[in-house]
Amino acid sequence: MSWTGRLQCTAVVKDGRTVISDTYNEGALKLMRPVYLDSAHPTLYLVHVGGGYVNGDRYEINMKLESHARLMVTTQAATKVYKTPYAPVGQYTQFSLGDESVLEYFPDPLIAYEQARFIQETVVHVTSRSTFMYGEIITPGWSESGQLFRYDWIRSKLKVYQDEALVLFDHLYLDSRQHLTSMLQLGGYTHVGSLVALSPFITKEVLEQFNQFMEEMPQEVRCGFSAAAVPGFSVRILAYETSAIEAIFQRIHQFIRHQCGEKAPVCWRKY
Amino acid sequence: MTDQQLLWLLQLSDSNFPSGAFSHSFGFETYMYNEQICDAKTFRQSLIVYIQTQLTYTDGLACRIAYEQLKANSIEGLQRLNETLFALCLAKETREGTRMIGERLWKLCRHIYSVDELDEIVQTKQSIHPAIAFAAVGRKIGATKQTTVLTYLFTSVQTMVQNAVRGIPLGQTDGQQLLVMVQPYLIHATNIIEMLGEEELGAAAIGLEIAQMQHERLPVRLFMS
Repeated sequence: MSWTGRLQCTAVVKDGRTVISDTYNEGALKLMRPVYLDSAHPTLYLVHVGGGYVNGDRYEINMKLESHARLMVTTQAATKVYKTPYAPVGQYTQFSLGDESVLEYFPDPLIAYEQARFIQETVVHVTSRSTFMYGEIITPGWSESGQLFRYDWIRSKLKVYQDEALVLFDHLYLDSRQHLTSMLQLGGYTHVGSLVALSPFITKEVLEQFNQFMEEMPQEVRCGFSAAAVPGFSVRILAYETSAIEAIFQRIHQFIRHQCGEKAPVCWRKY
Repeated sequence: MTDQQLLWLLQLSDSNFPSGAFSHSFGFETYMYNEQICDAKTFRQSLIVYIQTQLTYTDGLACRIAYEQLKANSIEGLQRLNETLFALCLAKETREGTRMIGERLWKLCRHIYSVDELDEIVQTKQSIHPAIAFAAVGRKIGATKQTTVLTYLFTSVQTMVQNAVRGIPLGQTDGQQLLVMVQPYLIHATNIIEMLGEEELGAAAIGLEIAQMQHERLPVRLFMS
């Protein structure tokens, strides 16, 4: 089967700085020239050259970080999934992280419009000495009728393997036809945020600090977080708007960067 | 089903069967604490969604897949399933609780039903997910796949109802009425589970997951998860 868009690259360390090599792309996915928000670590912006994802589209992203490489990845704009009357859209992403590499992956929100069906599978290979951060936001798109949740369904899987053992499997399935408004599901909220951070820097002490750090939460969100089976944690947020989730993500992101010895706050400089 | 099989299943699904499941609310206590579950009506609504989500896509489907893999004698498949089921628990208390229940259930069943099919997994992984242990017992006593899955669903729901009777609290009659009420839902879920693809395993109920995570920090707790 052919791909609507494909993208591959490798991040390697050269003279103390991470550079991107072996870049390959085809079809609707492109990579902008890496931006160095600080002098040693590049930020990559994924670009979709069409207006959005449509019927039957299939995308593949493959990124490799060699030992000590440090990379931030985001998108240039929100991922929009439109009507998929015949076949769902599929996006398959693979990250492979070498020892002591750091990947921060914070794409813009996924917006699923009326009658959209979307499958996303992200497979990540880490070692016990790499750091992986991933924040994802799923939002319902505007519909002609003004009703929410006009998308059909969204299935998003994140599988993290540490030294070949599956250590974390986050499987979200939002189906607008199946009790999505129940309090066991979205319970009246519309936007879903998921964040995973796995890192040897997230020790027991750091987790305790994180507990305190998370005590102050805005009233208008519902948020849960818990320690993972390996050093790290996952966070789930339900909210009414993207910005509320983004604000929390940014705070958590800062917190982890601080623990990893990076004092400077991130600014994606997108807008 | 033979009379002996029936007796085995009755024993296994007894709410006093000491698997330790009665110490866990799997996130429901958070809703009770927040008074979102506060009577038979509110509990009933959540219980039905619980059957249609968590029990269908995770526990029930896992039990079915485990039964099939036991039949095919696929130790590798069972190991992968076991690993997947623990990786799916994002909330620490639920993960640890499931581990404890699995261990106790396995030890007991190994002892009383002499099931040894899973010994190879235990050697490498230590704990077995309750759904897999249950499937092994179902196979051992010669229950069909459908009956094994249905009994497992009933056992899980029965524990939740008993916990609600203590936790909300509800009257004993309310509890028994709920167990009658869920019967068609359990039968329907078993039929759905038979048709699901393995790639659907573990689809989470996100609000419940948050409740399971928040449970760690509840100031007053009756249950361990």
